[in-house]
Amino acid sequence: MQVNGIVVSTGIALGKALKLTTQPQNLDLRLLPVSSIESEANHLHQAIQKLITYLTNCQSKVSPDCDNFQLIDADILLLQDDELIDEMLSHIRQYRVTAGVAIDRVFTEQAQALENIDDPYLANRGKDIRVLGKRLITTLQGNSQLDLTQITQDTILLADELTPADFAILPLNYIKGIVLESGGLTSHTAILARSARIPALLNCQWRAKKIKISNGQNLALNSIDGQLITAPTEQQLTQLKQQQSEYLAHLEALQAYKNLPSETLDGHKITLRANVGNLNEISSLMEVGADGIGLFRTEFLLINTDTIPNEEQQYQIYCDALHSLNGQQLTIRTFDIGADKDIPFLNQALEENPALGVRGIRYSLLHPKMFIQQIKAILRAAAHGNIRLMFPMICQLEELNQVFKLIDQAKTQLQQGNIVFGIVEYGIVVETPAAVLNLSSMLAQLDFVSIGSNDLTQYTLAADRTNPQLVSDYPPLSPAVIKLISMTIEQCKLLDVKVCLCGELGGNNKVLPLLVGMGIDELSLNPSNLLAVKARLVKGNYRAFCQHADQIKSLSTIDSIDQAINQF
Amino acid sequence: MYKKTVTITAPHGIHTRPAALLVKEAKSFDCDVIVECNGKQASAKSLFKLQTLGLYQGVEVTVISEGEQAQQAVEKVAELLITLS
Repeated sequence: MQVNGIVVSTGIALGKALKLTTQPQNLDLRLLPVSSIESEANHLHQAIQKLITYLTNCQSKVSPDCDNFQLIDADILLLQDDELIDEMLSHIRQYRVTAGVAIDRVFTEQAQALENIDDPYLANRGKDIRVLGKRLITTLQGNSQLDLTQITQDTILLADELTPADFAILPLNYIKGIVLESGGLTSHTAILARSARIPALLNCQWRAKKIKISNGQNLALNSIDGQLITAPTEQQLTQLKQQQSEYLAHLEALQAYKNLPSETLDGHKITLRANVGNLNEISSLMEVGADGIGLFRTEFLLINTDTIPNEEQQYQIYCDALHSLNGQQLTIRTFDIGADKDIPFLNQALEENPALGVRGIRYSLLHPKMFIQQIKAILRAAAHGNIRLMFPMICQLEELNQVFKLIDQAKTQLQQGNIVFGIVEYGIVVETPAAVLNLSSMLAQLDFVSIGSNDLTQYTLAADRTNPQLVSDYPPLSPAVIKLISMTIEQCKLLDVKVCLCGELGGNNKVLPLLVGMGIDELSLNPSNLLAVKARLVKGNYRAFCQHADQIKSLSTIDSIDQAINQF
Repeated sequence: MYKKTVTITAPHGIHTRPAALLVKEAKSFDCDVIVECNGKQASAKSLFKLQTLGLYQGVEVTVISEGEQAQQAVEKVAELLITLS
């Protein structure tokens, strides 16, 4: 059995299951007799004291200058906070509720107040408050924590949530993996798991999926593909071990290039960014030293769901991505719906020829409400970081003008609602010959251009890229496609507009000299290819790349181009 | 009464860790220290209250104090508000 989750810390882990339940039991909802009010207040004080003792003990296990120490400190400060304690006491005394109910109400109110803050990072702290409240209730109910220090075998920990304090006392050498049922990419547990390099999955809802796991049973955690495997078979285990050793070898080979500047021997700099198709992949970007995200495919928001996420949900996801990037640039492509990307719940009309149908920006322009909603979420997120925004399948100026009209409407709506938003850079994905031929009329409105080489190949050669009979005879490395890429780059250079390439071609290290020699500024590629491409870049000379590109541009057959690439 | 207004510059705002450091520092003064932001007030000595102000990047915050050491307390808290991240 397998359950999917979001990868927050990459790796593969095998171990015995250990369930850590922190859900409080049912609260005692009685109205207190006046005579027991003071003893109830005492219960509360005792629980607070007990939890502070636990936290202080945990804190003593970590060094005072680490984040974790300070986070535990914050929990202790809260539990000692007179205003917080008075509020809980007044609930007990005025409303005559039990201590558990008082804690629940006060912490829930506080969490809600935080969640309403107009900043996603601060709003996320509401979750931490809820966790602390639950801990206080379980402490009050006398359910002492499972003693985490007693773990003596390789363990995969299954928890609702882990606090920084729990993390401090975990015997990390035995904790091979962590599976959380909830959590966000920027939650404290996620950050701690990443820094301890323990493979971890979030949002892995095995309980909700009615999968039974008992303590001590064998589990496998594939925190590369985002899966928890219960009762793994021999075959699965062999496969996972293979994947693990490949992953480790890859990591090691990578390290040599990771921290080198991405430039040629003669100092020509190229920005190497990552293509990201889901949130799982973000955590691997840091490991390959990518310079931000060059293509964030927002269609993944529409998979495994039956509605389009609303503005608020999208805003949260874009902000989450920004925060995980630590200040690096995030390039978002608006929904590229249609053609080979069928989204069942949208009930699109069947088209005779979907690749030439309502896809990319065409779909967005026909559904302006959906588009404006997405733009608003992106503009709001841009208040918190560096965002570039690009539109798929733009062929002509009319489309771009319509897009900017809708963006103006989105901005007006935000202004009218007094909602803070930021500025973004604008670009288009060049993926049709028409876009190349019309580029000069559009460039004035653009900050950058990104070449989508897969679709550009398919539309230039009129050859379906998913048709196995055609693939080898109509490759991207053919004279017509190279000419169009070259025309795009030259027009951009004239107006000093940055030009990126985000198709598969960019992930091929053999093609790198050609692309760089033609003048590309940035490549956005699959993170797993990034280091190999970087290795090719740092070992080469820009001058030689330019000569190589000039030679290839003069060739007129696919075979001769192939040969030149392989011989270089 | 002593007052000072500053703008939050930390990219993630005054989140849990910096807020906790600020509260500890404020507690070292005898006088009350109030933090005011967007019309809401909280004691700088209460993490519980301070958290709800929403001290994110770009917001203006006024630190107010009265009594002994008021000026030092305000200066210290204001300095932390702009330097912590």
